[in-house]
Amino acid sequence: MTAGTLSHLAAAVRTKASTASAARAAFRASSPFISAQRATSTVRFSSSSQSGSAGNDASNSLNGTPEQYDVVIVGGGIAGSALACALASGRASGTQKIALIEAFDLSGHMQWSPKPDQYSNRVSSLTPRSVLFLKQIGVWSELDLSRVAPCEGMQVWDGVSGARITFDGADAKKDSTRSSFLRQVFSGASSTPASSAEFFDDQQQQPDFSKEQESSPLAYMTENLHVQYGLQKQILAHKARGIQLDIFERTKVQDISSNTSSGQESDASVDISDWPVIQLDNGRKLQTRLLVGADGVNSPVRTFAKIESLGWDYSQFGLVATLQIDPSTSTAPDQGKGIAWQRFLPTGPIAMLPLNNGFASLVWSTTPKIAQDLKKLPAKEFCALVNAAFNASPAELEYLCKNIGPDGQPLVDFQSEIEWRASVQDAEKGGINRGREDYKAPKVVDVQENTRAPFPLRMRNSNSYVEDRVVLVGDAAHTVHPLAGQGLNQGLADVECLARVIEQGLLSGSDIGNIHSLTPYSSERFFPNLAMLGTVDKLSKLYNTDFGPVVWARSLGLTAVDNMGPIKTEIMRFAMGLEEPTSSRRV
Amino acid sequence: MSARTITAATANATIASIRARSLALTRRPAHWTRCATLFTCRSPLEPPTGKLYEGHIPISPLQRSILAVGSAFTALANPLRGDMVAALGETTGGMFLARIRDQMLLDPEGRRILRERPKITSESMQLDALRQLPDGTFGREYVRFLDDQQVSPDTREPVHFVDSEELAYVMQRYRETHDFYHTLTGLPVTVDGEIALKWFEMLQTGLPMTMLSSFFGPLRLTSEERSRLHEYYIPWALEYGSSSKLLMNVRWEEWMDRPVEEVQRELGVQPCPQV
Ligand SMILES: Cc1cc2nc3c(=O)[nH]c(=O)nc-3n(C[C@H](O)[C@H](O)[C@H](O)COP(=O)(O)OP(=O)(O)OC[C@H]3O[C@@H](n4cnc5c(N)ncnc54)[C@H](O)[C@@H]3O)c2cc1C
Repeated sequence: MTAGTLSHLAAAVRTKASTASAARAAFRASSPFISAQRATSTVRFSSSSQSGSAGNDASNSLNGTPEQYDVVIVGGGIAGSALACALASGRASGTQKIALIEAFDLSGHMQWSPKPDQYSNRVSSLTPRSVLFLKQIGVWSELDLSRVAPCEGMQVWDGVSGARITFDGADAKKDSTRSSFLRQVFSGASSTPASSAEFFDDQQQQPDFSKEQESSPLAYMTENLHVQYGLQKQILAHKARGIQLDIFERTKVQDISSNTSSGQESDASVDISDWPVIQLDNGRKLQTRLLVGADGVNSPVRTFAKIESLGWDYSQFGLVATLQIDPSTSTAPDQGKGIAWQRFLPTGPIAMLPLNNGFASLVWSTTPKIAQDLKKLPAKEFCALVNAAFNASPAELEYLCKNIGPDGQPLVDFQSEIEWRASVQDAEKGGINRGREDYKAPKVVDVQENTRAPFPLRMRNSNSYVEDRVVLVGDAAHTVHPLAGQGLNQGLADVECLARVIEQGLLSGSDIGNIHSLTPYSSERFFPNLAMLGTVDKLSKLYNTDFGPVVWARSLGLTAVDNMGPIKTEIMRFAMGLEEPTSSRRV
Repeated sequence: MSARTITAATANATIASIRARSLALTRRPAHWTRCATLFTCRSPLEPPTGKLYEGHIPISPLQRSILAVGSAFTALANPLRGDMVAALGETTGGMFLARIRDQMLLDPEGRRILRERPKITSESMQLDALRQLPDGTFGREYVRFLDDQQVSPDTREPVHFVDSEELAYVMQRYRETHDFYHTLTGLPVTVDGEIALKWFEMLQTGLPMTMLSSFFGPLRLTSEERSRLHEYYIPWALEYGSSSKLLMNVRWEEWMDRPVEEVQRELGVQPCPQV
């Protein structure tokens, strides 16, 4: 490190011209080995700098000149907030100056005070891998575990043919020692799921999921608001212990540009002319070494970076709702506790995810028109229709859905029509000699008020996740049909990986905004995400028909897989995030 | 010989020989059976159901195949074997019958028929009363047709081989309403007239039995009949078979006193051109 640079840094510390570089200086000072490495890159950058000036503190507080950050995260959804948490808890990344920008309220999540008999309608299934990550960043311990419902099994079946596949969490564990088929196919290596715990200060309890014997949930049903609550609490805790994490909530990103006319110079040693400048709607400007787009499916950051995103809108909406069920009506063992039910209908899959206290969360993917009609239907008829959607024939459902009036009023007597068809079905079933009786989903008895909401379903994939100084995570990078409950889990896996890559980049003294430092992130995440998107999209298309030969073939395949223990185990472990085809972890 | 005895005889003979051969395989390893269950949920030698309705003859998948092939050959060789034509329809129609049932479920009239399951017999139709109706009404023309052909609604073959009570009813209804189609379309009960009607039904229902008859039936026609079929009947069937209302959703019993033209208009069917 040259004397000149050092003195500049000292000046920077004194004048607080750039808190970001001050923090870096402090970090370097604490680790001589790293600072030596770091110096090379500093020199490289200073060679392209124009003039050293440490006096832009004044102009900063005036107007026009942007505040400088190391990382600016646009989007305080779960992905963005989790990244803020993960960076704040990293040994090196925790010394960075970080901003989190969210258009809506974030601190409001702190006041979240749920009642035991009410659940939010947005619920996600978190895989064991996601939960492990949330534990590592200290978020899981903030949650009220009585509101988290473990999902121990799944019943998935074809609404046209009745072919069924069942998953049991315990099976996934049994074979966990065996070398994985999927992994061998995808990557040819056998490594354990990466643990990034070593990078984090908050080394809390580190449960090894593959060793837990008794209980082995496939996933944990958690309200998105609940996760947000944990994240914001943890963010607050990081701020309290002095991490430079600035939250800009109820603030929209208005514009992002790659060049500023003035004030490109920070603390004299680094050329920041290529750092993106973010214009907020409160008049402030931020300039950052690394811009993270965690801003959802219509990502403004992605648009700024001119990253193309391909995909399509399914002409489907996902209607969510919180349901009250009567567990005693399920024929599954233990009253179907902890079982997720999903039936594929020609209009899209309907899923009922278990919550505690006799509640369940609904995601019903269907045509936009039906989704709107379902929202308006009186509660009684709505529940009858949900029950029919898990039991009645697709033709029967089509008839009932056609008989919802423009104001949501039922045009026929739903109850009597459904009962009649159920009695015919029961009579037919009585005569059939089947080996085993399929378990029945519990009956829905009520729907919580104001929880019915339709969301458009889309599939998007960005052509790349990284550009110079820009990186995308979560839905901004990829959006998937919710039928496999993987969207958020993919986002959290992105965040875990990106935080690790940034940490490693800092430790090795590279410029974390440089595309080369970010490439490991993209090469680790791009392929698995694409594989997941492709698989889920194919599944959605495969089941979006009642064309005879297709139904026949898919039912044959499903029955076959259901009978092939090892392959089923692989699929489960894949969906639980315990396995993932990776490229970078091979080394 | 009834369809029932034929099936039983042919099927049992074949089953016996298959059992004998499969004896050699009884000592197959356990995983072999496991593999087999991947693709067939149940044994092809056992009927999948018990007796579901009056007249139902539960048969195994193997017997079903034998019966389908056997009845197809018999029916082709001798189209007058009504029992074989019927057996052919029943053994091959499962999926298609379910499709028709679904189309009925989507229609209020169709649902009413499925719910009430009306039967068409000389008693329920009160043929004598129909004879009193004015000429030109649907009911009057319908009995005239029955009388001309010297048939009665009661001479229809009951359903035996459909493994679902409701689908058996759908099949039964399909058969029972066939005579109304003649009244509606004006097609004569000649070989080419029946074939034209089969084309019409094929476009309406997609039943495979009607397809077979419409494709193979013409083999037995004179050249004169054949040209009539190709020039008039089939074009007519193509036009109205797909554009008219699904006739399975028609409660014919309630249309007896209405003029034939009105019924035709309402159902979207023009009478077939007569040559
Ligand atoms: C019906 C349904 C069911 C689902 N079920 C599951 C499930 O069971 N399991 C699962 O894993 N996933 C599920 N998902 C997917 C999951 O919800 C998403 O993948 C996840 O919420 C995406 O999180 P994110 O943080 O990447 O994006 P988002 O949650 O979309 O967050 C983006 C944030 O960026 C902010 N933002 C955008 N533009 C700006 C701007 N210009 N300025 C400031 N802020 C901005 C937005 O306000 C928003 O808060 C489901 C999705 C749907 C629709």
